[in-house]
Amino acid sequence: MAAIDRRWWIGGAGLVVVAAGLYLGAPIYVLYVANLLMTYAVLAIGLDVLLGRAGQFAFAHIAFYGIGIYTTALITNNTSLPVFVGIIAGGLLAGLVGIVIAIPATRLRDVYLALATFAFAEAAQWVFNNWDSVTKGPNGLRISSAKLFGYTITNDREAFFLVLFITLLVVAATAFIARSKLGRAMSAIGDSEHVAMASGVGVQRVKVTAFAISAIYAGVAGGMFTLYQSFIHPDSLGFDLIVLILTMVVVGGVGSMPGVILGVLLLGLMPEVLRNLREWQELIYGLILILAVLFMPRGIWGLITDRRQARQARNPAARPAPVEDAP
Amino acid sequence: MTGTLILQGVASGLVTGSVYALIALSLVIVFKSTEVINFAGGEFVMLGAYVAMFFLVLLGLPYIIVVPVVALIVFCIGAAFDRVILDRVLGRHRPGQSIMVAMVIATVGLSFAFKGTVRLFRVSDNVRTLPPIFSTDPVFLGQVVLSRQDIAIFVIAVAVMVLLFSFFQFTKLGRALRATSENPRAATLVGIPVRRMRTLIWGIAAALSAVAGVLVAPKLLVSPDMGGVIILAFAAAIIGGFTNVLGVIVGGVVLGVIENLVGLFVSSKAIAIAPFIVIILILMVRPQGLFGGAAPIKKV
Repeated sequence: MAAIDRRWWIGGAGLVVVAAGLYLGAPIYVLYVANLLMTYAVLAIGLDVLLGRAGQFAFAHIAFYGIGIYTTALITNNTSLPVFVGIIAGGLLAGLVGIVIAIPATRLRDVYLALATFAFAEAAQWVFNNWDSVTKGPNGLRISSAKLFGYTITNDREAFFLVLFITLLVVAATAFIARSKLGRAMSAIGDSEHVAMASGVGVQRVKVTAFAISAIYAGVAGGMFTLYQSFIHPDSLGFDLIVLILTMVVVGGVGSMPGVILGVLLLGLMPEVLRNLREWQELIYGLILILAVLFMPRGIWGLITDRRQARQARNPAARPAPVEDAP
Repeated sequence: MTGTLILQGVASGLVTGSVYALIALSLVIVFKSTEVINFAGGEFVMLGAYVAMFFLVLLGLPYIIVVPVVALIVFCIGAAFDRVILDRVLGRHRPGQSIMVAMVIATVGLSFAFKGTVRLFRVSDNVRTLPPIFSTDPVFLGQVVLSRQDIAIFVIAVAVMVLLFSFFQFTKLGRALRATSENPRAATLVGIPVRRMRTLIWGIAAALSAVAGVLVAPKLLVSPDMGGVIILAFAAAIIGGFTNVLGVIVGGVVLGVIENLVGLFVSSKAIAIAPFIVIILILMVRPQGLFGGAAPIKKV
């Protein structure tokens, strides 16, 4: 226990130093990237709640993100309420829509769930594009600066700590959920629905809850986006974005939060590194997805934990014999 | 007047619908034998169109040679994907775990890899069309007007379906393929090489999509994003319950007709959303599809 506590302290201190350093010293563009990565992290953690823990394959995530963005943006544009009201409203609305979608969708077989949510995501993008009176449709919506306790957040530096705060809140909430009864019920469903049901887990209810939590996270991520962005266009809420988030989760490690955050960092920074290879990006993401599925089914984090376990079990006799897969 | 318009919509819908049915068929034969939903299905359509463009425009070959060549090339690509990637993912699969997630991710990855590859070539910078398959002279069928090309597309699509059906129904190989998708274990017991059959199915499905791509290319525009047509095939497959082949063909045709009628009577904007609404409605009301029969009970 003591070792874990010390790790927490070191991690926390490191975070404070890095955050303060970024805030004080980094150029504004670096802070923009940091804000964007934190938004992706919240999106990816939300997707992982559904995919990694409850084992439900859903493509609707970006639709909820869009709902969060538009809700928060419209509240910020049309009222003088503090911005967290908008963010909470965006999260709740996304969660509500998530529940409405989840109740019929989670009754479907896994493949149909993927298709139904895919269709919903495309339909939502169509609505963002065509509901001109609210979203300004294909012209895009301007987002005015967020207001909080008399301050106005005008740039990435001012938004940074707020974005960081929300990210930490989400990380803490997810860690809490994972340890709760709900989290254990979700993992049970992820392992085997039948076994979970036989053990008295209310499968349908837990699935809907997981869906709702995932949607709330996506909605909140949408609210975060409005803190440092001044414009949203429906085209940026397409299938490409869900594939990016999916790649982050898969590469980092499905079902583990440190893995997911690692994936966000790696893939989020990649466009910055490969700036000159823009036309190669789609191909690279595709290949990364295929290679990840082939060579690291549990992502980079899976490789790391496997190695750690191997080191701990130095004595080969103590290691369980590898199980041969049936053909 | 409205009556003629409806007839016209139905006739044009039959033409595009027959092509959607081909794409949906390719999804369904893959799903039946491997339980994988192929999110790269649309990219096989796109590849078919681009490979055809290469032979038609750059080499100036006629359609009659190009279509089989395209089918063969894309067949190999599809079979290779199964052999090199899916086979290994399956081999790594631990029993009890859902393989679906890994498979879907692999096909999504493939779809991006294909799109990305095509985008690297300069031809893809502009949206293009293929030369017409047949003359576009109008043909009058009663009050309905179609082009000769439309009729050619419809006839070829139906011919491909008949060919496929006969192959599955009357040849030994076709029956072995069906046995594999009905029950892989029993198929193994009677000596069918199930792994090879799966690879073959992937190849056939890819070739089918590619031929569909050649057929729609004169009507749709050829671009790296034309794989988006897959959503119509998903909807068609869902109408057919993803298992009933005849239902899927009907589904494809119905979608073609719906699309045309929505375009004529509602608005051209609404065309884009029609297939999603079809998918969502059907999954909510009858998750097993309109022709899916009773929902299959999955054994643990």
